Amino acid sequence: VSPVQTLFSLGIALMVPMLFAALGEVIIEKSGVLNVGIEGVLLVGAFAAAVGVNYGNGSIWVGLLVAIGAGVVCGIILALLYVRLGTDQIVTGIMFNILAFGLTTTLAAKYVHASESAQFPDWHIPLLHDIPGVGNVLFDQDVLVYASIVLAALVFYLTRRTWFGLYSRAASEFPRAAESAGLNVWRLRYAAVIVGCVLAAVGGAELFANSGGFVAGYTNGRGFIALAIVVLARWNPFWVVAASLLFGVAQALQFEADKLGFLGDIPSHVLVALPYILVLAAVVFARGSRYPAAVGIPFRPTRSST
Amino acid sequence: VTTGQPAALPPRHRLEERLRSLTLPRGITLWSILRVLAALAATLIIFAILLQVLGTDFGTAFNAVTDSAFGNSFNLGQTLMIASILIATGLAAAIPFRAQLWNVGGEGQMWFGAFVTIGIALNLPKGMAPGLSVTICVIAAMVAGAVWGLVPGILKATINANEVITSLMMTFIAIELGNWAIDTIWPQGASNETMSVPANTLMPNIWTGTLVTWGLPLAVIAAIIAWAVMNRTKLGFEIRAVGLNPQSARMNGMSVSKVAIVTFALGGAFAGLAGAIFILGINSALPSGFPLNNFGYLGIAVALVARLSPLWIIPSAVLFAALRVGSDGLQASTGLSTTVGQILVALFVILLLGFRLIRFSYPEVASR
Repeated sequence: VSPVQTLFSLGIALMVPMLFAALGEVIIEKSGVLNVGIEGVLLVGAFAAAVGVNYGNGSIWVGLLVAIGAGVVCGIILALLYVRLGTDQIVTGIMFNILAFGLTTTLAAKYVHASESAQFPDWHIPLLHDIPGVGNVLFDQDVLVYASIVLAALVFYLTRRTWFGLYSRAASEFPRAAESAGLNVWRLRYAAVIVGCVLAAVGGAELFANSGGFVAGYTNGRGFIALAIVVLARWNPFWVVAASLLFGVAQALQFEADKLGFLGDIPSHVLVALPYILVLAAVVFARGSRYPAAVGIPFRPTRSST
Repeated sequence: VTTGQPAALPPRHRLEERLRSLTLPRGITLWSILRVLAALAATLIIFAILLQVLGTDFGTAFNAVTDSAFGNSFNLGQTLMIASILIATGLAAAIPFRAQLWNVGGEGQMWFGAFVTIGIALNLPKGMAPGLSVTICVIAAMVAGAVWGLVPGILKATINANEVITSLMMTFIAIELGNWAIDTIWPQGASNETMSVPANTLMPNIWTGTLVTWGLPLAVIAAIIAWAVMNRTKLGFEIRAVGLNPQSARMNGMSVSKVAIVTFALGGAFAGLAGAIFILGINSALPSGFPLNNFGYLGIAVALVARLSPLWIIPSAVLFAALRVGSDGLQASTGLSTTVGQILVALFVILLLGFRLIRFSYPEVASR
């Protein structure tokens, strides 16, 4: 296996938490909510997976279930704040991140042992796995990698080909008009925020599985990178996959650079900071990308409903 | 959206209306005071439940926190020094927030300020007068913070980049720069921090028996300057006007781009000051566990509770600093992580937001 193959193989594994989070964020933003709290949801997901693994005899599937449950709880809390109470979404999100950091760090110090870890099972796809060059990079990954690609297609279908996608586009561009056409904007946003948070929490579970244990504040801005990925990909789930892969490989560089000749001379701290620098470059590159018009603005229904 | 007054309110709303209409001096209504109390009570109840889960009861925790935050003059001094950091990071958030520009990168601007402070302090001539060397370091840190803040500010002004994303990315870059300083640029043996800055660059002590240094008056002066800028200058008026309504501010000849750049530079400069106060006035070196304190992010909470008013930031910062220092006492007596104080802060602010005690105005999308 060549170092470049290892780099991409690792990059694909590292892309998954950001990909799940970014796909969730696509659904949320397409309904007209900006979820800055995504970083906190990712962290809570990772912590919940750690708890599940710790108290579920080391089974990652128990961890995944607990993470999904935690994602639902986060989604309900955030939906109540963002949608029902109409709080400012950026400020609420940042405060939610502090809350998530404080809670997970405090609880982890007491209940989760950093040594405890579990992986999702690998899945070698027969035949495809034997393609020279790319086979062992693309088709020798854990099951969540394949799940995330399938999910991207599902999210594409959901946001572009279903009534939910059509209504949520209306709710994110011109909610007042959507309301007058009979849509319950709040109910749609509740659903979107909860589903999006569940996806982010699943990403957190993969983050936990990748890293072999729960570390305080381990997300290190992956949720915020997911926010940038969504803008860079212009809310298109397939471009989200491509952008996530870019940042996954950028993160993998810090572990593999020493085997890649000239890259080994770059100080490791520069490589650690590389994904963040890349985000700034991506923001400049994606400068034409516009948020849906109503994103970030609380909606107050004309008649009080639900 | 304009809502006409309904002819007859249902009974529940009639009570609410009556409570709303009881107004105390300066526009504070009894209704808002009730909501503050409700938010506070809800925060404490949730936190008490959490403490039970963690195996501590609320009374013990309360005593441990108040004792280590205010118990004696030394502890009070510690609280005031942490408060001076939070005043500065609070200003870093408050000024851009007044223009509805979300500078959430105070953490990184503070780190970069601390980074530059150490770099300058280590390289100043050894015989330099303390007053001069401290002044140079503080100004350098403020310029550094402003530069770090200018990146998201300029990206916002020129290409309308989401300043939340860019300022957060600058934060992670700054933290990595700090880690680089700790283990490669200015390492201090095997310990997990940078070299200590020389004695002639440290801020002098101003309260014997405590560790209170010139950092505290500097932070208070910064808050007063910020108040004066916001309330007594044309620039402050423009910042507030852009925050209330960017469209009408633009139509009245104000430059929204200029306000974006200036507020981010000002905010960054105050965050840089926080970094200088931390290095020159408190710790004399950059420790690797520093990001766990989240002082930059807590500054946002400080600013919000102060309703973005520079002078109210001072008591707000003292309150949150007491929680931070109190968490140390809690750790010593119960073994809980010091991050427990951050839970309380975040819960409180989220509930204040939920009770609509912290609100922002938005343009109505439907009118476009």
